[in-house]
Amino acid sequence: MNKQYALALMLVSAVSAAGALALNYWGILPFWAYAAVLIAGFPLFLLGLGLYWMAREGEADMPFLGY
Amino acid sequence: MIAELLFAVFFGLLLLGIHRKVIARIQRRPGPPVWQEILHMLKFSFKTTWVPATASTALFCGVVLVAIGIWTAALVVVLSGGSLLVIFAIYMLHKIVEHGFGLSSGSPYGKFGGVRSVISAASEIPLFVSVAAIAIFTQSLMITDIIAYQEINGPLLITVPLAALAMYVVLLSKMPFGPFSIVESKELVSGYKTEHFGVWRAGLEVCNGLKTYVLLLTFILVFIGNLPFWLVILAMVIILITLSFVCALSPMLSPYDSVTVQTLIAGLMVAYVALLGVMS
Repeated sequence: MNKQYALALMLVSAVSAAGALALNYWGILPFWAYAAVLIAGFPLFLLGLGLYWMAREGEADMPFLGY
Repeated sequence: MIAELLFAVFFGLLLLGIHRKVIARIQRRPGPPVWQEILHMLKFSFKTTWVPATASTALFCGVVLVAIGIWTAALVVVLSGGSLLVIFAIYMLHKIVEHGFGLSSGSPYGKFGGVRSVISAASEIPLFVSVAAIAIFTQSLMITDIIAYQEINGPLLITVPLAALAMYVVLLSKMPFGPFSIVESKELVSGYKTEHFGVWRAGLEVCNGLKTYVLLLTFILVFIGNLPFWLVILAMVIILITLSFVCALSPMLSPYDSVTVQTLIAGLMVAYVALLGVMS
């Protein structure tokens, strides 16, 4: 997994959500648009942060498939 | 909204920790600390993460995003006083998400968890019944209208107690360690989430915290009405403790029995709403 993509994902989603919050606060962006950005951005930010932090860039694992 | 979202995640996880603690104390075990679920979420965030070789990568990763996204949307709808139908549509979407979790990894345990999630869809029928009962009285499914109705006519918990009971059963079916928790049964390891580890599982924990918070908040707003913030928190804890008692004192049903009991409850509730409709 490419950590640079995860970092970019995290930053883009965080900046988008913060920007939407500010624009909504100043009355430029309607609430529904702010909510849509937040709903899309929050999961991307969480996973982007986690993957940038702990994702392994090597081989994948084979799960236990039963006896 | 961002502050409310973060509060909902952490308080929802704290509620799940209280749930585990209460169950443990009823069963005379010390149990984990109440913040255990928050620690779980953080612990999984620190674990090495990758996608299993047998997984469908797009579904395996995407379903975590969808799980967090739909409950974030549910929180936004509840806090902005939107339609109850959207909340229940999201509740149904969660079934599809559980199914996606189970099928995406390629592990048989996950697949069985996903299949059980589908067969336990009977738990949604009492939800429709409680929606129908509410609509009969309030003539609207907007949460703001339902709250306004209760300010004039008193809590719906007193007006339609069986509809509240139906939604209580729905809450019960979503609580871990409950009689209807067949999707996470121990013979399936961790059910549909068996192969989602590391950051993926941390995302799922966030989803569970949000889900618990949103469902309890919806129950309070729809059946009790608008309360001060501290009373909402208190009501959430009280409802959760009653759920914990039910979970601690009743065994997990077999998949067949779970579906049968939920279908029977749904049948009774349909008869109740039909009666309400005739009488109104």
